[in-house]
Amino acid sequence: MARERMTLLLADDDHTIVDSLAPFLERAGFKVLVVSNGAAALEKVQSHHPDLIVLDVLMPRMDGRETLRRLRHANVWTPTILLTQVGEASERALALEEGADDYLNKPFDPHELLARVRAVLRRARPGERSLSAAWLLTAGDLLLDRRARRASVKGEPLDLTPKALSVLEYLMTHPDEVVSRERLLTAVWGWEYPAGTRTVDTRMAELRRALDDDPASPYYIETISGEGYRFIPSVHGEG
Amino acid sequence: MVKKSWLVLFLIALPLLSGAFVSVLAQGFFQPVPVLVFKIDVGMLAFVAGVIVTLLLLSFYLGGLRIERRSHRMLERSLKEAELGRRRFLRRLDHEIKNPLTGLRAALVNLQEMRGTEERQRAAANASHAVDRLSRLLADLRKLSDLEERSLENLPVDVPELLQEMVDAARSLPAYGNREVNLLISRVPSPFPTVRGDRDLLGVAVYNLVENALKFTTANESVEVRALEDGRTIVVEVADSGGGIPAEDLSNIFEELYRGSNARGVDGSGLGLALVRRIVALHGGEIEVRSRQEEPRGTVFTVRLPVSKR
Repeated sequence: MARERMTLLLADDDHTIVDSLAPFLERAGFKVLVVSNGAAALEKVQSHHPDLIVLDVLMPRMDGRETLRRLRHANVWTPTILLTQVGEASERALALEEGADDYLNKPFDPHELLARVRAVLRRARPGERSLSAAWLLTAGDLLLDRRARRASVKGEPLDLTPKALSVLEYLMTHPDEVVSRERLLTAVWGWEYPAGTRTVDTRMAELRRALDDDPASPYYIETISGEGYRFIPSVHGEG
Repeated sequence: MVKKSWLVLFLIALPLLSGAFVSVLAQGFFQPVPVLVFKIDVGMLAFVAGVIVTLLLLSFYLGGLRIERRSHRMLERSLKEAELGRRRFLRRLDHEIKNPLTGLRAALVNLQEMRGTEERQRAAANASHAVDRLSRLLADLRKLSDLEERSLENLPVDVPELLQEMVDAARSLPAYGNREVNLLISRVPSPFPTVRGDRDLLGVAVYNLVENALKFTTANESVEVRALEDGRTIVVEVADSGGGIPAEDLSNIFEELYRGSNARGVDGSGLGLALVRRIVALHGGEIEVRSRQEEPRGTVFTVRLPVSKR
Protein backbone atom coordinates (compact mmCIF):
# COMPACT_ATOMS: atom_id res chain seq x y z
CA MET A 1 0.00 0.00 0.00
CA ALA A 2 0.97 3.64 0.04
CA ARG A 3 3.75 4.90 2.30
CA GLU A 4 1.57 7.16 4.40
CA ARG A 5 -1.78 5.99 5.64
CA MET A 6 -4.68 6.82 3.41
CA THR A 7 -7.70 8.46 5.02
CA LEU A 8 -11.20 7.10 4.49
CA LEU A 9 -14.37 8.94 5.38
CA LEU A 10 -17.13 6.53 6.38
CA ALA A 11 -20.62 8.05 6.40
CA ASP A 12 -23.41 5.83 7.70
CA ASP A 13 -26.01 6.46 10.39
CA ASP A 14 -26.12 2.86 11.59
CA HIS A 15 -23.84 2.51 14.62
CA THR A 16 -23.52 -1.24 14.52
CA ILE A 17 -22.27 -0.98 10.96
CA VAL A 18 -19.67 1.75 11.45
CA ASP A 19 -18.56 0.37 14.81
CA SER A 20 -17.61 -2.87 13.12
CA LEU A 21 -16.45 -1.51 9.76
CA ALA A 22 -14.16 1.21 11.11
CA PRO A 23 -11.87 -1.12 13.09
CA PHE A 24 -11.88 -3.56 10.18
CA LEU A 25 -10.71 -0.86 7.75
CA GLU A 26 -8.18 0.40 10.27
CA ARG A 27 -6.71 -3.06 10.58
CA ALA A 28 -6.37 -2.99 6.79
CA GLY A 29 -4.11 0.05 7.17
CA PHE A 30 -6.43 3.02 6.68
CA LYS A 31 -7.12 6.01 8.87
CA VAL A 32 -10.91 6.07 9.24
CA LEU A 33 -13.10 9.10 9.94
CA VAL A 34 -16.71 8.42 10.82
CA VAL A 35 -19.76 10.66 10.37
CA SER A 36 -23.43 9.82 10.64
CA ASN A 37 -25.09 12.10 8.11
CA GLY A 38 -24.53 13.83 4.79
CA ALA A 39 -24.12 17.36 6.13
CA ALA A 40 -21.39 16.22 8.51
CA ALA A 41 -19.76 14.35 5.64
CA LEU A 42 -19.57 17.56 3.58
CA GLU A 43 -17.89 19.38 6.49
CA LYS A 44 -15.39 16.60 7.05
CA VAL A 45 -14.48 16.55 3.35
CA GLN A 46 -13.75 20.29 3.53
CA SER A 47 -11.70 20.05 6.71
CA HIS A 48 -9.84 16.75 6.36
CA HIS A 49 -9.62 16.06 2.60
CA PRO A 50 -10.00 12.28 2.81
CA ASP A 51 -8.60 10.11 0.02
CA LEU A 52 -11.86 8.23 -0.39
CA ILE A 53 -15.46 8.47 0.80
CA VAL A 54 -17.75 5.55 1.61
CA LEU A 55 -21.24 6.99 1.55
CA ASP A 56 -24.45 5.31 2.63
CA VAL A 57 -27.47 6.30 0.55
CA LEU A 58 -30.10 6.41 3.28
CA MET A 59 -29.01 8.90 5.93
CA PRO A 60 -30.82 11.56 7.98
CA ARG A 61 -30.44 15.31 7.29
CA MET A 62 -28.83 14.85 3.88
CA ASP A 63 -28.87 11.52 2.08
CA GLY A 64 -25.80 10.09 0.39
CA ARG A 65 -27.03 10.88 -3.06
CA GLU A 66 -27.57 14.58 -2.37
CA THR A 67 -24.22 14.74 -0.58
CA LEU A 68 -22.44 13.31 -3.58
CA ARG A 69 -24.27 15.66 -5.96
CA ARG A 70 -23.15 18.66 -3.93
CA LEU A 71 -19.57 17.47 -3.78
CA ARG A 72 -19.42 16.97 -7.54
CA HIS A 73 -21.09 20.34 -8.11
CA ALA A 74 -18.38 21.93 -6.02
CA ASN A 75 -15.87 20.20 -8.30
CA VAL A 76 -14.68 17.88 -5.56
CA TRP A 77 -13.69 14.60 -7.22
CA THR A 78 -12.74 12.61 -4.16
CA PRO A 79 -13.34 8.96 -5.15
CA THR A 80 -16.61 7.78 -3.66
CA ILE A 81 -18.23 4.41 -3.08
CA LEU A 82 -21.99 4.49 -2.59
CA LEU A 83 -23.60 1.95 -0.29
CA THR A 84 -27.00 1.32 -1.83
CA GLN A 85 -29.91 -0.19 0.05
CA VAL A 86 -31.80 -2.07 -2.58
CA GLY A 87 -30.67 -3.88 -5.67
CA GLU A 88 -32.94 -2.05 -8.05
CA ALA A 89 -31.66 -1.41 -11.52
CA SER A 90 -32.70 2.23 -11.34
CA GLU A 91 -30.64 2.69 -8.22
CA ARG A 92 -27.52 1.49 -9.98
CA ALA A 93 -28.10 3.74 -12.95
CA LEU A 94 -28.50 6.68 -10.59
CA ALA A 95 -25.30 5.86 -8.79
CA LEU A 96 -23.51 6.39 -12.11
CA GLU A 97 -25.31 9.60 -12.87
CA GLU A 98 -24.23 11.19 -9.64
CA GLY A 99 -20.59 10.39 -10.21
CA ALA A 100 -20.03 7.56 -7.77
CA ASP A 101 -16.86 5.66 -8.59
CA ASP A 102 -18.34 2.41 -7.44
CA TYR A 103 -21.24 1.08 -5.46
CA LEU A 104 -22.00 -1.82 -3.19
CA ASN A 105 -25.36 -3.27 -2.27
CA LYS A 106 -26.13 -3.87 1.36
CA PRO A 107 -25.67 -6.40 2.83
CA PHE A 108 -22.07 -6.86 1.72
CA ASP A 109 -19.05 -8.77 2.92
CA PRO A 110 -16.51 -6.37 4.52
CA HIS A 111 -13.77 -7.97 2.40
CA GLU A 112 -15.71 -6.95 -0.68
CA LEU A 113 -15.78 -3.34 0.54
CA LEU A 114 -12.04 -3.47 1.13
CA ALA A 115 -11.46 -4.84 -2.37
CA ARG A 116 -13.61 -2.01 -3.82
CA VAL A 117 -11.78 0.61 -1.76
CA ARG A 118 -8.38 -0.61 -2.94
CA ALA A 119 -9.47 -0.88 -6.57
CA VAL A 120 -10.98 2.61 -6.60
CA LEU A 121 -7.92 4.13 -4.92
CA ARG A 122 -5.61 2.43 -7.42
CA ARG A 123 -7.61 3.84 -10.30
CA ALA A 124 -8.08 7.33 -8.90
CA ARG A 125 -6.14 10.25 -10.28
CA PRO A 126 -6.24 12.89 -7.53
CA GLY A 127 -8.38 15.92 -8.35
CA GLU A 128 -9.47 14.62 -11.74
CA ARG A 129 -13.03 13.62 -12.47
CA SER A 130 -13.39 9.89 -12.68
CA LEU A 131 -14.45 7.82 -15.66
CA SER A 132 -17.65 6.83 -13.86
CA ALA A 133 -18.78 10.46 -14.13
CA ALA A 134 -18.17 10.71 -17.89
CA TRP A 135 -20.93 10.17 -20.44
CA LEU A 136 -18.66 9.42 -23.39
CA LEU A 137 -15.93 6.83 -23.05
CA THR A 138 -13.34 6.06 -25.72
CA ALA A 139 -10.71 3.37 -25.89
CA GLY A 140 -8.87 3.39 -29.20
CA ASP A 141 -11.51 2.99 -31.92
CA LEU A 142 -14.19 1.98 -29.47
CA LEU A 143 -16.67 4.63 -28.42
CA LEU A 144 -19.33 4.14 -25.74
CA ASP A 145 -22.13 6.67 -25.43
CA ARG A 146 -23.61 5.88 -22.04
CA ARG A 147 -26.55 8.25 -22.27
CA ALA A 148 -27.71 6.97 -25.66
CA ARG A 149 -26.83 3.38 -24.69
CA ARG A 150 -24.83 2.87 -27.88
CA ALA A 151 -21.37 1.59 -28.68
CA SER A 152 -19.45 1.82 -31.93
CA VAL A 153 -16.10 0.87 -33.39
CA LYS A 154 -14.70 3.29 -35.98
CA GLY A 155 -18.18 4.81 -36.23
CA GLU A 156 -19.75 1.43 -36.99
CA PRO A 157 -22.50 0.80 -34.40
CA LEU A 158 -22.22 -2.47 -32.48
CA ASP A 159 -25.23 -4.74 -32.23
CA LEU A 160 -25.35 -5.51 -28.52
CA THR A 161 -28.01 -6.64 -26.06
CA PRO A 162 -28.61 -4.16 -23.20
CA LYS A 163 -26.88 -6.54 -20.77
CA ALA A 164 -23.76 -6.89 -22.91
CA LEU A 165 -23.64 -3.12 -23.24
CA SER A 166 -23.82 -2.72 -19.47
CA VAL A 167 -21.01 -5.23 -19.07
CA LEU A 168 -18.91 -3.20 -21.50
CA GLU A 169 -19.82 -0.05 -19.57
CA TYR A 170 -18.71 -1.54 -16.28
CA LEU A 171 -15.43 -2.79 -17.74
CA MET A 172 -14.68 0.55 -19.43
CA THR A 173 -15.30 2.48 -16.24
CA HIS A 174 -12.97 0.10 -14.40
CA PRO A 175 -10.08 -0.22 -16.87
CA ASP A 176 -7.00 -2.24 -16.02
CA GLU A 177 -8.84 -3.75 -13.06
CA VAL A 178 -9.46 -7.46 -12.71
CA VAL A 179 -13.24 -7.61 -12.41
CA SER A 180 -14.61 -10.88 -11.06
CA ARG A 181 -17.69 -12.50 -12.53
CA GLU A 182 -19.45 -12.15 -9.18
CA ARG A 183 -18.70 -8.44 -9.19
CA LEU A 184 -20.13 -8.05 -12.69
CA LEU A 185 -23.22 -9.96 -11.63
CA THR A 186 -24.02 -7.78 -8.66
CA ALA A 187 -23.12 -4.58 -10.52
CA VAL A 188 -24.83 -5.22 -13.85
CA TRP A 189 -27.53 -7.79 -13.09
CA GLY A 190 -28.21 -6.62 -9.56
CA TRP A 191 -28.57 -10.10 -8.20
CA GLU A 192 -26.41 -13.08 -7.64
CA TYR A 193 -27.61 -15.76 -10.05
CA PRO A 194 -27.28 -19.38 -9.13
CA ALA A 195 -25.68 -20.13 -12.50
CA GLY A 196 -24.39 -16.60 -12.68
CA THR A 197 -20.83 -17.12 -13.79
CA ARG A 198 -22.07 -18.85 -16.94
CA THR A 199 -24.52 -16.04 -17.51
CA VAL A 200 -21.62 -13.59 -17.45
CA ASP A 201 -19.53 -15.75 -19.78
CA THR A 202 -22.38 -15.89 -22.30
CA ARG A 203 -22.63 -12.10 -22.45
CA MET A 204 -18.87 -11.79 -22.57
CA ALA A 205 -18.78 -14.09 -25.60
CA GLU A 206 -21.44 -11.92 -27.25
CA LEU A 207 -19.42 -8.78 -26.46
CA ARG A 208 -16.23 -10.26 -27.87
CA ARG A 209 -17.97 -11.37 -31.04
CA ALA A 210 -19.31 -7.85 -31.54
CA LEU A 211 -15.93 -6.29 -30.83
CA ASP A 212 -14.21 -8.90 -32.99
CA ASP A 213 -11.86 -9.50 -30.08
CA ASP A 214 -9.94 -12.77 -30.07
CA PRO A 215 -9.89 -14.22 -26.50
CA ALA A 216 -6.55 -15.91 -27.29
CA SER A 217 -4.83 -12.63 -28.13
CA PRO A 218 -7.23 -9.92 -26.98
CA TYR A 219 -7.00 -6.23 -27.72
CA TYR A 220 -9.91 -5.18 -25.49
CA ILE A 221 -10.90 -7.80 -22.93
CA GLU A 222 -8.53 -10.25 -21.31
CA THR A 223 -9.67 -13.32 -19.36
CA ILE A 224 -7.73 -13.75 -16.15
CA SER A 225 -8.17 -17.44 -15.50
CA GLY A 226 -9.87 -18.15 -12.19
CA GLU A 227 -10.30 -14.45 -11.41
CA GLY A 228 -12.34 -12.63 -13.99
CA TYR A 229 -11.90 -10.13 -16.79
CA ARG A 230 -9.74 -7.09 -17.41
CA PHE A 231 -10.30 -4.24 -19.84
CA ILE A 232 -6.86 -3.72 -21.36
CA PRO A 233 -6.64 -0.41 -23.32
CA SER A 234 -6.62 2.90 -21.48
CA VAL A 235 -9.94 4.69 -21.44
CA HIS A 236 -10.58 8.36 -21.99
CA GLY A 237 -13.72 10.00 -20.65
CA GLU A 238 -15.47 13.23 -21.55
CA GLY A 239 -18.81 14.98 -21.21
CA MET B 1 -76.31 8.36 -2.82
CA VAL B 2 -80.06 8.16 -2.22
CA LYS B 3 -80.68 11.42 -4.02
CA LYS B 4 -78.61 10.24 -6.95
CA SER B 5 -80.53 7.00 -7.38
CA TRP B 6 -83.85 8.94 -7.37
CA LEU B 7 -82.50 11.09 -10.13
CA VAL B 8 -81.48 7.99 -12.08
CA LEU B 9 -84.93 6.46 -11.62
CA PHE B 10 -86.52 9.69 -12.83
CA LEU B 11 -84.31 9.70 -15.91
CA ILE B 12 -85.24 6.09 -16.57
CA ALA B 13 -88.95 6.91 -16.30
CA LEU B 14 -88.56 10.03 -18.44
CA PRO B 15 -89.10 8.29 -21.84
CA LEU B 16 -92.30 6.70 -20.47
CA LEU B 17 -93.62 10.00 -19.12
CA SER B 18 -92.78 11.94 -22.24
CA GLY B 19 -94.32 9.15 -24.38
CA ALA B 20 -97.53 9.44 -22.37
CA PHE B 21 -97.44 13.23 -22.62
CA VAL B 22 -96.92 13.14 -26.41
CA SER B 23 -99.76 10.67 -26.91
CA VAL B 24 -102.16 12.76 -24.82
CA LEU B 25 -101.05 15.80 -26.76
CA ALA B 26 -101.57 13.97 -30.10
CA GLN B 27 -105.08 13.03 -29.09
CA GLY B 28 -105.69 16.75 -28.64
CA PHE B 29 -107.04 16.52 -25.10
CA PHE B 30 -110.29 14.99 -26.42
CA GLN B 31 -111.22 13.62 -23.08
CA PRO B 32 -112.21 15.92 -20.28
CA VAL B 33 -109.60 14.14 -18.22
CA PRO B 34 -106.49 13.48 -20.28
CA VAL B 35 -106.70 9.69 -20.30
CA LEU B 36 -105.25 7.58 -23.06
CA VAL B 37 -107.62 6.10 -25.58
CA PHE B 38 -106.26 3.09 -27.40
CA LYS B 39 -105.95 3.90 -31.04
CA ILE B 40 -103.17 3.55 -33.52
CA ASP B 41 -101.71 6.99 -34.12
CA VAL B 42 -98.49 8.97 -33.62
CA GLY B 43 -99.27 9.53 -29.94
CA MET B 44 -99.72 5.80 -29.26
CA LEU B 45 -96.48 5.10 -31.09
CA ALA B 46 -94.67 7.62 -28.90
CA PHE B 47 -96.22 6.08 -25.81
CA VAL B 48 -95.21 2.53 -26.75
CA ALA B 49 -91.71 3.71 -27.68
CA GLY B 50 -91.47 5.46 -24.29
CA VAL B 51 -92.52 2.28 -22.48
CA ILE B 52 -89.95 0.19 -24.38
CA VAL B 53 -87.11 2.64 -23.81
CA THR B 54 -87.94 2.89 -20.12
CA LEU B 55 -88.08 -0.88 -19.75
CA LEU B 56 -84.72 -1.19 -21.52
CA LEU B 57 -83.14 1.47 -19.32
CA LEU B 58 -84.60 -0.16 -16.23
CA SER B 59 -83.20 -3.56 -17.12
CA PHE B 60 -79.78 -2.05 -17.88
CA TYR B 61 -79.87 -0.24 -14.58
CA LEU B 62 -80.85 -3.27 -12.54
CA GLY B 63 -78.36 -5.47 -14.41
CA GLY B 64 -75.64 -2.91 -13.75
CA LEU B 65 -76.53 -2.88 -10.07
CA ARG B 66 -76.25 -6.66 -9.95
CA ILE B 67 -72.88 -6.70 -11.72
CA GLU B 68 -71.65 -3.99 -9.42
CA ARG B 69 -72.71 -5.95 -6.40
CA ARG B 70 -71.13 -9.12 -7.73
CA SER B 71 -67.80 -7.45 -8.57
CA HIS B 72 -67.91 -5.81 -5.17
CA ARG B 73 -68.25 -9.23 -3.58
CA MET B 74 -65.44 -10.59 -5.73
CA LEU B 75 -63.19 -7.69 -4.81
CA GLU B 76 -63.93 -8.26 -1.15
CA ARG B 77 -63.12 -11.92 -1.48
CA SER B 78 -59.81 -11.33 -3.28
CA LEU B 79 -58.89 -8.67 -0.73
CA LYS B 80 -59.57 -11.15 2.01
CA GLU B 81 -57.49 -13.76 0.20
CA ALA B 82 -54.63 -11.30 -0.27
CA GLU B 83 -54.78 -10.46 3.42
CA LEU B 84 -54.73 -14.14 4.33
CA GLY B 85 -51.81 -14.71 1.95
CA ARG B 86 -49.93 -11.81 3.46
CA ARG B 87 -50.40 -13.16 6.98
CA ARG B 88 -49.37 -16.64 5.88
CA PHE B 89 -46.27 -15.18 4.23
CA LEU B 90 -45.31 -13.22 7.35
CA ARG B 91 -45.77 -16.31 9.51
CA ARG B 92 -43.51 -18.32 7.23
CA LEU B 93 -40.97 -15.53 7.03
CA ASP B 94 -40.89 -15.35 10.81
CA HIS B 95 -40.24 -19.07 10.87
CA GLU B 96 -37.46 -18.92 8.25
CA ILE B 97 -35.68 -16.13 10.12
CA LYS B 98 -36.08 -17.64 13.58
CA ASN B 99 -33.83 -20.63 13.04
CA PRO B 100 -30.69 -19.00 11.67
CA LEU B 101 -31.12 -16.18 14.18
CA THR B 102 -31.24 -18.63 17.08
CA GLY B 103 -28.11 -20.30 15.74
CA LEU B 104 -26.42 -16.95 15.36
CA ARG B 105 -27.22 -15.95 18.94
CA ALA B 106 -25.90 -19.19 20.35
CA ALA B 107 -22.73 -18.90 18.28
CA LEU B 108 -22.15 -15.33 19.49
CA VAL B 109 -22.60 -16.37 23.14
CA ASN B 110 -20.07 -19.14 22.56
CA LEU B 111 -17.72 -16.67 20.93
CA GLN B 112 -17.92 -14.38 23.97
CA GLU B 113 -17.55 -17.08 26.57
CA MET B 114 -15.23 -19.65 25.05
CA ARG B 115 -11.49 -19.30 25.41
CA GLY B 116 -10.08 -22.13 23.29
CA THR B 117 -9.00 -21.08 19.78
CA GLU B 118 -10.55 -24.12 18.14
CA GLU B 119 -13.87 -23.68 19.94
CA ARG B 120 -13.94 -20.01 19.01
CA GLN B 121 -13.26 -20.80 15.39
CA ARG B 122 -16.10 -23.31 15.35
CA ALA B 123 -18.43 -20.72 16.85
CA ALA B 124 -17.37 -18.15 14.25
CA ALA B 125 -17.94 -20.68 11.46
CA ASN B 126 -21.43 -21.41 12.80
CA ALA B 127 -22.20 -17.71 13.02
CA SER B 128 -21.15 -17.13 9.45
CA HIS B 129 -23.18 -20.14 8.30
CA ALA B 130 -26.28 -18.64 9.93
CA VAL B 131 -25.52 -15.29 8.31
CA ASP B 132 -25.20 -17.01 4.92
CA ARG B 133 -28.64 -18.51 5.34
CA LEU B 134 -30.16 -15.15 6.23
CA SER B 135 -28.38 -13.47 3.33
CA ARG B 136 -29.66 -16.06 0.89
CA LEU B 137 -33.20 -15.59 2.13
CA LEU B 138 -32.90 -11.82 1.78
CA ALA B 139 -31.34 -12.11 -1.68
CA ASP B 140 -34.19 -14.33 -2.90
CA LEU B 141 -36.83 -12.05 -1.39
CA ARG B 142 -35.21 -9.18 -3.22
CA LYS B 143 -35.24 -11.12 -6.47
CA LEU B 144 -38.96 -11.70 -6.13
CA SER B 145 -39.69 -8.03 -5.51
CA ASP B 146 -37.20 -6.98 -8.18
CA LEU B 147 -39.08 -9.11 -10.73
CA GLU B 148 -42.10 -6.86 -10.36
CA GLU B 149 -40.11 -3.74 -11.09
CA ARG B 150 -37.40 -4.57 -13.57
CA SER B 151 -38.00 -4.30 -17.28
CA LEU B 152 -37.72 -7.64 -19.02
CA GLU B 153 -35.45 -8.13 -21.95
CA ASN B 154 -37.46 -9.17 -24.96
CA LEU B 155 -35.04 -10.96 -27.27
CA PRO B 156 -35.09 -14.34 -29.04
CA VAL B 157 -33.78 -17.04 -26.73
CA ASP B 158 -32.21 -20.26 -27.98
CA VAL B 159 -33.91 -22.79 -25.70
CA PRO B 160 -31.76 -25.91 -26.31
CA GLU B 161 -28.58 -23.91 -25.70
CA LEU B 162 -30.02 -22.44 -22.51
CA LEU B 163 -31.16 -25.84 -21.24
CA GLN B 164 -27.73 -27.34 -21.89
CA GLU B 165 -26.03 -24.47 -20.09
CA MET B 166 -28.25 -24.64 -17.01
CA VAL B 167 -28.12 -28.43 -16.80
CA ASP B 168 -24.32 -28.27 -16.90
CA ALA B 169 -24.27 -25.51 -14.28
CA ALA B 170 -26.51 -27.43 -11.88
CA ARG B 171 -24.84 -30.82 -12.15
CA SER B 172 -21.35 -29.39 -11.79
CA LEU B 173 -22.16 -28.11 -8.29
CA PRO B 174 -19.93 -29.95 -5.80
CA ALA B 175 -22.99 -31.37 -4.02
CA TYR B 176 -24.07 -33.21 -7.18
CA GLY B 177 -20.67 -34.44 -8.33
CA ASN B 178 -21.46 -34.28 -12.07
CA ARG B 179 -24.45 -36.61 -11.86
CA GLU B 180 -25.93 -37.65 -15.16
CA VAL B 181 -28.89 -35.58 -16.40
CA ASN B 182 -30.62 -36.72 -19.59
CA LEU B 183 -31.31 -33.87 -21.95
CA LEU B 184 -33.71 -34.64 -24.79
CA ILE B 185 -34.54 -32.06 -27.43
CA SER B 186 -36.68 -32.59 -30.52
CA ARG B 187 -34.81 -31.28 -33.56
CA VAL B 188 -36.47 -33.05 -36.47
CA PRO B 189 -37.69 -31.86 -38.94
CA SER B 190 -36.97 -28.21 -38.12
CA PRO B 191 -34.61 -26.61 -35.63
CA PHE B 192 -36.10 -25.81 -32.25
CA PRO B 193 -38.06 -22.54 -32.34
CA THR B 194 -36.99 -19.62 -30.20
CA VAL B 195 -38.88 -18.07 -27.30
CA ARG B 196 -38.91 -14.31 -26.81
CA GLY B 197 -37.92 -13.11 -23.42
CA ASP B 198 -35.25 -12.51 -20.84
CA ARG B 199 -32.58 -15.17 -21.24
CA ASP B 200 -31.10 -14.68 -17.78
CA LEU B 201 -34.45 -14.97 -16.04
CA LEU B 202 -35.50 -18.01 -18.06
CA GLY B 203 -32.12 -19.46 -17.13
CA VAL B 204 -32.90 -18.94 -13.44
CA ALA B 205 -36.23 -20.74 -13.88
CA VAL B 206 -34.66 -23.74 -15.63
CA TYR B 207 -31.75 -23.85 -13.22
CA ASN B 208 -34.01 -23.81 -10.16
CA LEU B 209 -36.08 -26.69 -11.54
CA VAL B 210 -33.03 -28.80 -12.44
CA GLU B 211 -31.32 -28.05 -9.16
CA ASN B 212 -34.49 -28.97 -7.29
CA ALA B 213 -34.70 -32.27 -9.14
CA LEU B 214 -31.08 -33.06 -8.22
CA LYS B 215 -31.66 -32.00 -4.62
CA PHE B 216 -34.56 -34.40 -4.13
CA THR B 217 -32.99 -37.42 -5.81
CA THR B 218 -30.03 -39.63 -5.02
CA ALA B 219 -27.29 -40.78 -7.39
CA ASN B 220 -29.28 -44.02 -8.05
CA GLU B 221 -32.32 -42.13 -9.29
CA SER B 222 -32.57 -40.27 -12.58
CA VAL B 223 -33.21 -36.73 -13.70
CA GLU B 224 -34.36 -35.90 -17.20
CA VAL B 225 -34.92 -32.59 -18.98
CA ARG B 226 -36.88 -32.65 -22.22
CA ALA B 227 -38.10 -30.04 -24.65
CA LEU B 228 -40.86 -30.40 -27.24
CA GLU B 229 -42.71 -27.97 -29.44
CA ASP B 230 -45.87 -27.90 -31.52
CA GLY B 231 -45.27 -24.69 -33.43
CA ARG B 232 -47.23 -22.52 -31.02
CA THR B 233 -46.01 -23.66 -27.64
CA ILE B 234 -42.75 -25.04 -26.41
CA VAL B 235 -42.92 -27.48 -23.53
CA VAL B 236 -40.00 -27.98 -21.18
CA GLU B 237 -40.25 -30.79 -18.68
CA VAL B 238 -37.96 -31.44 -15.77
CA ALA B 239 -38.61 -34.94 -14.49
CA ASP B 240 -37.08 -37.06 -11.77
CA SER B 241 -37.60 -40.51 -10.26
CA GLY B 242 -37.15 -39.25 -6.70
CA GLY B 243 -39.41 -39.75 -3.71
CA GLY B 244 -42.20 -37.55 -5.04
CA ILE B 245 -44.17 -34.79 -3.37
CA PRO B 246 -47.01 -35.57 -0.93
CA ALA B 247 -50.39 -34.95 -2.58
CA GLU B 248 -51.46 -32.44 0.07
CA ASP B 249 -48.41 -30.28 -0.68
CA LEU B 250 -48.73 -30.27 -4.46
CA SER B 251 -51.08 -27.32 -4.75
CA ASN B 252 -48.96 -25.14 -2.44
CA ILE B 253 -45.40 -25.71 -3.54
CA PHE B 254 -45.32 -22.62 -5.76
CA GLU B 255 -46.23 -20.38 -2.84
CA GLU B 256 -43.56 -18.16 -1.34
CA LEU B 257 -41.75 -19.79 1.59
CA TYR B 258 -44.01 -22.85 1.54
CA ARG B 259 -42.22 -25.95 2.72
CA GLY B 260 -43.73 -29.33 2.02
CA SER B 261 -43.30 -32.05 4.62
CA ASN B 262 -40.49 -33.63 2.57
CA ALA B 263 -38.67 -30.30 2.19
CA ARG B 264 -38.23 -29.50 5.86
CA GLY B 265 -34.64 -29.34 6.87
CA VAL B 266 -33.55 -29.26 3.23
CA ASP B 267 -31.28 -26.38 2.31
CA GLY B 268 -32.84 -23.58 0.30
CA SER B 269 -34.67 -20.31 0.76
CA GLY B 270 -38.15 -21.69 0.11
CA LEU B 271 -38.54 -19.17 -2.70
CA GLY B 272 -37.08 -21.08 -5.65
CA LEU B 273 -40.34 -22.41 -7.10
CA ALA B 274 -42.15 -19.12 -6.41
CA LEU B 275 -39.49 -17.42 -8.52
CA VAL B 276 -39.91 -19.99 -11.28
CA ARG B 277 -43.67 -19.50 -11.38
CA ARG B 278 -43.31 -15.71 -11.49
CA ILE B 279 -40.71 -15.80 -14.28
CA VAL B 280 -42.81 -18.21 -16.35
CA ALA B 281 -45.91 -16.02 -15.86
CA LEU B 282 -43.97 -12.91 -16.90
CA HIS B 283 -43.18 -14.69 -20.17
CA GLY B 284 -46.84 -15.46 -20.82
CA GLY B 285 -46.41 -19.12 -19.95
CA GLU B 286 -47.64 -21.53 -17.33
CA ILE B 287 -46.23 -24.21 -15.06
CA GLU B 288 -47.68 -27.43 -13.71
CA VAL B 289 -46.51 -30.22 -11.52
CA ARG B 290 -47.51 -33.84 -11.17
CA SER B 291 -46.01 -36.26 -8.74
CA ARG B 292 -46.41 -39.79 -7.38
CA GLN B 293 -45.09 -41.28 -4.19
CA GLU B 294 -46.00 -44.86 -5.13
CA GLU B 295 -44.15 -46.82 -7.80
CA PRO B 296 -43.46 -45.61 -10.43
CA ARG B 297 -42.45 -42.71 -8.23
CA GLY B 298 -41.29 -39.33 -9.35
CA THR B 299 -42.09 -35.74 -10.12
CA VAL B 300 -42.55 -33.85 -13.39
CA PHE B 301 -42.58 -30.08 -13.70
CA THR B 302 -44.04 -28.91 -17.01
CA VAL B 303 -43.39 -25.40 -18.30
CA ARG B 304 -45.27 -24.11 -21.36
CA LEU B 305 -44.05 -21.00 -23.12
CA PRO B 306 -45.39 -19.34 -26.27
CA VAL B 307 -43.15 -19.67 -29.34
CA SER B 308 -41.97 -16.30 -30.64
CA LYS B 309 -43.68 -15.18 -33.82
CA ARG B 310 -41.58 -14.64 -36.85
